[in-house]
Amino acid sequence: MAGKPGTNPTTYSPSMATGKTRPRIFKDHDVDWVRPDGRGFHQCRPAFFRTGAVNSASGSAYAEFGNTKVIVSVFGPRESKKAMMYSDIGRLNCNVSYTTFATPVRGQGSDYKEFSSMLHKALEGAIILETFPKTTVDVFALVLESGGSDLHVVISCASLALADAGILMYDLVASVSLSCLGKNLVIDPVLEEESYQDGSLTITCMPSRYEVTQLSITGEWSTPKINEGMQLCLDACSKLAMIMRSCLKEATSTSQE
Amino acid sequence: MGLPDASGDLSSEVEVDAFRRLFPLRFYERHLSESIRPDGRPLGRARDTTIALGAVASADGSALAKIGSTTMLAAIKMEVMTPSMESPDEGCLAIDFHMPPICSPIVRPGRPAEAAPVVSKQLSDTISSSGMVDLKELSLVSGKAAWMAYLDIYCLDADGALFDAALLSAVSALSHLQFPVVSLNEDGRVVVVSEEDGGKPEKEPVNREKRKLTLKSIPFSLTCILHKNYILADPTAEEESIMETLVTVVLDSSSQLISLYKPGGPVLANTSVIQVSFSPLKHTL
Repeated sequence: MAGKPGTNPTTYSPSMATGKTRPRIFKDHDVDWVRPDGRGFHQCRPAFFRTGAVNSASGSAYAEFGNTKVIVSVFGPRESKKAMMYSDIGRLNCNVSYTTFATPVRGQGSDYKEFSSMLHKALEGAIILETFPKTTVDVFALVLESGGSDLHVVISCASLALADAGILMYDLVASVSLSCLGKNLVIDPVLEEESYQDGSLTITCMPSRYEVTQLSITGEWSTPKINEGMQLCLDACSKLAMIMRSCLKEATSTSQE
Repeated sequence: MGLPDASGDLSSEVEVDAFRRLFPLRFYERHLSESIRPDGRPLGRARDTTIALGAVASADGSALAKIGSTTMLAAIKMEVMTPSMESPDEGCLAIDFHMPPICSPIVRPGRPAEAAPVVSKQLSDTISSSGMVDLKELSLVSGKAAWMAYLDIYCLDADGALFDAALLSAVSALSHLQFPVVSLNEDGRVVVVSEEDGGKPEKEPVNREKRKLTLKSIPFSLTCILHKNYILADPTAEEESIMETLVTVVLDSSSQLISLYKPGGPVLANTSVIQVSFSPLKHTL
């Protein structure tokens, strides 16, 4: 039924052909347009977080921003791989993968090396690695459904999972991205907006300490625009961190009852 | 309190948690002799089960199934293929089972779990031999185009009875599956008819009526642990790691046996044991 090995015919997705010919939804000139999901330009998607999604992990969290759904599990601190050199401080190991059905066209569900290293860099500065010498903390993320801004949802969700696992951190890490479309800045872009963007800006920060752990800017930006974008992102990050914190408080208050 | 003598009284001296870790088998046998399991279930009781349909919006059919804390997410993506010469009016169903590193501490990235390909094969064997899906229903244009249904099952949380949960989610996703409406374009390729076109596509859709699969018989499965003369239904991961003999029985909705799977183990199953492992399953049907 699953096809004998080697005889699997080549297949194609029927929706691919229409996707290419679809006209641009955003015009180059500055006319009034609405975002695909009807949000304001500076309005994030509603965020939902839940800790303790995976029982067999030390800590875990599930996050849902519109159609973007991710699960992050944290394992450890546990023994480092045999081949690893001795280390005074703990190690952080990150991995991000996608399900085959996450993207509109079926993917291979392979590892996203680039996202894994971005996640590692975003979290590294926030974790107090000195508290678990010689051992490794594994942060594994699975994107169940990709709806845009996947990496920043993964980063925020991962910091919540780390908190759930009881790994010491300086602060929760919140991440927000922003797309530049023509003259407009749209925060928390969906997949469709990301594919048409002229530039993007992502900030990962620890809002209580007002410190940035990661900042990435792609595309063409003018200085005033960068300033405006960064301010928007930082505001959104501190609001996001409040939602994350209330989720953690909720989880502990229900477990105490 | 005197010195704990050799083995018997050791348990009262050591804290329960430590005893559970140090002597897992003895810990379980104590419970079993009282006909109860450490999680409070009687031996023959399965864990609570929930199913949610349509969990993934980017798929054509999807379901999330939970048995206890074992969680499975199944989703189907439909693609188009040219059917083979031998069966020009049949489509294809490809089933794959994944255990991503998030599901269990024993799975690490780059090193796939041993259990995954086993469950994957078991699933496709069971679904094909149950005759649940008629591949002819996946045909679009005889000899030209047919559906290729990619059914991918992801284990999100592994806590025993993986096959049972995977089969449940796979069957639920198949029941939720809805084909997209498609038509043939000028190049002979199949394209989705989008509803935004104003309702007048250039070509008539090829599958206006056939939007759902008719599932003939629906397979259900139950995994049991055999240990000495005890039979434990629906084991957790901890139970599976301690007591190794497993028996999986698959029945369909009319109580017909579809498959019986016993992958070795130190306990030999005889007819009576197998019959007993049927009864809790019949009960759940």
